[in-house]
Amino acid sequence: MRRSRFVAAALMLIALASTAASLSSPAGAAARGKLVLAWHAGFASRWLDPQEHDGTATPDNFFTAIHDGLIKNQGTALFDHPALAEKFTVAPDAKSATFTLRKGIKFHNGEPVTPQDVKFSYESYRGAKADVFKKKTERVELVDDRTIRFHFKEPFLDFAILFGTANVAAPGWVVPEKYYKQVGADGFKQKPVGAGPYKLVRHEPGVKLEMEAFDAYYRPVNVKQLVMTSVPEGATRVAMLERGEADIIYSVPGELVSRVQKLPGVTLAPVLSGSWFLEFPGFQDPKNPFRDKRVREAVSLAVDRRAMNQAESAGFGKVSGNWINNDVQYALEWPEIERNVERAKQLLREAGYPNGFDVDWVTPLPAWYSRGERLIGQLREVGIRARMQTMERGVFFQRLQGGVKEWPGVQIIFHGIRIAGSWSFWYEAHVKCGGFNSRDRLCIKELDAKFEQYERSINPAERKKLAEEIQRAILENHYLVPVFRHAFVNAIGPRVAAHKWQDVFPTITTGYAYPWEDIKLKEQ
Amino acid sequence: MWQFIVRRLLYSIVTLLILSATIFVIVRLTGDPVSLLAEAGARPEDLERIHRQWGLDRSWPVQYVSFLQNIVTGELGKSFNYRLPVSELYFQRLPNSLTLGLVATLISILVGVPAGIISAVKVNTWWDTIAKGVALLGLSIPGFWLGLVLILVFSVWLRWLPTSGAGDWRHVVMPSLALGWYFAASMLRLTRSSMLEVLGSEYIKLARLKGLPDVVVIAMHAFKNALIPVFTLAGVNMVVMVNAAVIIEVIFAWPGIGRLLYEGIFNRDFPLVQGVVVMAGFMIVGINLIVDILYAFIDPRIRLTR
Repeated sequence: MRRSRFVAAALMLIALASTAASLSSPAGAAARGKLVLAWHAGFASRWLDPQEHDGTATPDNFFTAIHDGLIKNQGTALFDHPALAEKFTVAPDAKSATFTLRKGIKFHNGEPVTPQDVKFSYESYRGAKADVFKKKTERVELVDDRTIRFHFKEPFLDFAILFGTANVAAPGWVVPEKYYKQVGADGFKQKPVGAGPYKLVRHEPGVKLEMEAFDAYYRPVNVKQLVMTSVPEGATRVAMLERGEADIIYSVPGELVSRVQKLPGVTLAPVLSGSWFLEFPGFQDPKNPFRDKRVREAVSLAVDRRAMNQAESAGFGKVSGNWINNDVQYALEWPEIERNVERAKQLLREAGYPNGFDVDWVTPLPAWYSRGERLIGQLREVGIRARMQTMERGVFFQRLQGGVKEWPGVQIIFHGIRIAGSWSFWYEAHVKCGGFNSRDRLCIKELDAKFEQYERSINPAERKKLAEEIQRAILENHYLVPVFRHAFVNAIGPRVAAHKWQDVFPTITTGYAYPWEDIKLKEQ
Repeated sequence: MWQFIVRRLLYSIVTLLILSATIFVIVRLTGDPVSLLAEAGARPEDLERIHRQWGLDRSWPVQYVSFLQNIVTGELGKSFNYRLPVSELYFQRLPNSLTLGLVATLISILVGVPAGIISAVKVNTWWDTIAKGVALLGLSIPGFWLGLVLILVFSVWLRWLPTSGAGDWRHVVMPSLALGWYFAASMLRLTRSSMLEVLGSEYIKLARLKGLPDVVVIAMHAFKNALIPVFTLAGVNMVVMVNAAVIIEVIFAWPGIGRLLYEGIFNRDFPLVQGVVVMAGFMIVGINLIVDILYAFIDPRIRLTR
């Protein structure tokens, strides 16, 4: 409907202007103005190359502007929003998937997007989860000049959700084969050419990306120039918003939220983001107090989740009962866990710790140290005495990936993650024995057995049942203790046309402002 | 003279070697960068591949020799994060840092030197007290705080200057003020003490006894001699401002070398950190070498001092 309205408007313009240029530029013709995004960190060049997706949520801020996938997470669609592919089907036996490309789609260099480019992008993909795709794919078939089919060695039920979730993996994000081979992987990162709504016109590595609306994009692009500029200091980003130098800023520091709320014309966009939870490394050791389920439950009851949300996310987060975000497939809804200090003390007494005990270290995900301090204060009220361990981010992940030997003694990890797509990606990375981040810290055999059953199954009802059973077991046994979903607080300036913040941040699986092509500026 | 130059040159090379070895070891003590380069879920074989790709699978001595060879050939390796040669990144950012460093140096001289002279000439008066207070404030106020206050006042309230980034002259004003402020205070203190020392010397007393007016004594005799250490410090300060204005460049999103260094440290980008530090070392050692040689030309006694 929207597309047809736009085409009608474009046709009227063409009739009026009688210019040949408008005929070939339906998207860019309507684009006007300039939108500046103040990004909250540095830029890594690899974030401009979907072939090397690092498996985090960060690169999709850039992919969604410059590149495009066959299908993707957008709006409320978790993974199956049709993008470069106008339609796709997965065979009933889940042993193949067929995609049909839109007509007339092009890369920024004018070359058409072909099934061969899709095949190249898929087969040469070497980013996150590449091993999963390689292991399961038998061959890629070019059916005709718009159709491509992926054949799998075995039923691959998670194919579409993995393939279409931009903040997990990107083998379905198409790069131009000829250009990629011509400039090489490093050259591509400096001057990427994609099929997305914006083409890169200037790249200052680590500093600024200047983009322009891509005329031949298959959807209307509203803003002519999109500039993403790196501004690491939060107070500076807020000042940019106040002065009108930036139209969207990411990550408003907690202490400046109230100031931003008072700015005329500025809309706060508190996007619900990752879930925070506690883990007890080494809890299976008989000498570890956390081996006792009652002790783990006592910790859970000692946590003041509402206070944490208020202090850490200005109350914009959400106190949820599950450690898995509820915006992923098969996530289990779980009631909020109320704080109960008396019950926590009683449980500790029953477990043989009437005077509490000492925890060697509480280690929060760097650099969210204030959360660790708050947790320690809350645990102290039930008699659990702890000290905080601060780490550099790289070291933290390295130690996570090192397994239980890296966390000797009595420890609590206060972790926060955001993974889109499916609940299974959370389990696989953070609970499963041998998982990338969990390694050997949890290793709960009966749950892993159920998870294997889940992965083998091609019956959606059975998979859902198994997913819920596993999540319930984790929560009832307090193997992981959910704390809260924090808010990624962003802000929108007065020049952006938006009735509510969700107009600019409509995609529920991300904290970023895409789809970029839909953002509009107010009439001047 | 030549012996002196050769000796100084050798000292400089040794200094740079020590610096390169120190930074080489220090960045590696921070841990393995592959954990930040690899995608989540990477298998051990992928991690090994990345180690090989970046030459991190080689022993430290081999890596160090390769690093030295790169320096000799004018390369500084390739940045992990940007996938660009470090020298290219460095020279892309250098003009911005030179601009910032130069303007901040000028501010520090224009503020620090006259205030230091007045403070010394009017010693123990309220002029001197004010100058000492300014110096104390300059040395005590953290740059990041001053930077944020300047943004609040000049950008947000008065709307005179842009908050951040690089562009025209208006972008340079606040970061150079925030950066130059601290150095102005140190210049003030050094100028004051240097002037006080010169003003108490015999030849100044003689000049006064000869009946020369105070202005002539201060301007023609004292000032000239007191300036030598001040300008030596200004040179070194400028090198520091060009290469290590990390906090100011981050606050003002100024695309200079300090921010490049910050990004390198944050991402464990070994080649980038090593490259920036070695380039800063080259600058400091180079300037010191030139100053030493100039001193030796001016004062032959220096040549004889071993």
